Amino acid sequence: MTPEEETEALLDALGRGQVPDPADPAVRLLAALLDDVDQRRPQRSQRRSSVSMTPST
Amino acid sequence: MVVRYCRARLGRVSGQYHIADDVAQEVCIAVLSALPRYRDMGRPFASFVFGIASHKVADALRSSVRSAVPTQDLPDGPDDGPGPEETVVRYIEVEHARRLLARLPDNQRELLLLRVVSGLSAEETGNVLGMSPGAVRVAQHRALARLRQMAELESA
Repeated sequence: MTPEEETEALLDALGRGQVPDPADPAVRLLAALLDDVDQRRPQRSQRRSSVSMTPST
Repeated sequence: MVVRYCRARLGRVSGQYHIADDVAQEVCIAVLSALPRYRDMGRPFASFVFGIASHKVADALRSSVRSAVPTQDLPDGPDDGPGPEETVVRYIEVEHARRLLARLPDNQRELLLLRVVSGLSAEETGNVLGMSPGAVRVAQHRALARLRQMAELESA
């Protein structure tokens, strides 16, 4: 598969609402934009942020 | 598809998509008005619709009219929406996406939005932008590579 064909497959998957490669920063950004325009909560399995919650004592 | 496209192009104003949704409604009205003049020339109907949508969005960006922001009534029950932390994280991520997309050349940004947000095929996107499907595939590869490079540079 050529790089152009890989990009084609990746964009097709994103257009269908899938996240083909959550490690790809460009894919993550486009997926976040898609979630936002659809006003839905992220339903994908990838980690969306590095924020952690620590109980206060 | 039209609503998603308008929202992706115009973004939120005061946290709401009301302007983008109004423009999407204008697009639908314009498509209905233009239908009697529409002639099937063998091109996908989507290219006709997104040709109109592209012009309407450009008009909205030029006028940049900021009308009053409608607000919902106060909710009378529990809010099932995302909490404050998730809302902020999401906002930051989406604004990051918009900022990087805005740095792409106009043609590359339009191409990515039509392919991903509107879900058009390479052929349909080519018809909207006046490009061959082959040229779309080459340009979208460059656009995604550029977006990836900018994202990696910012996170480094």
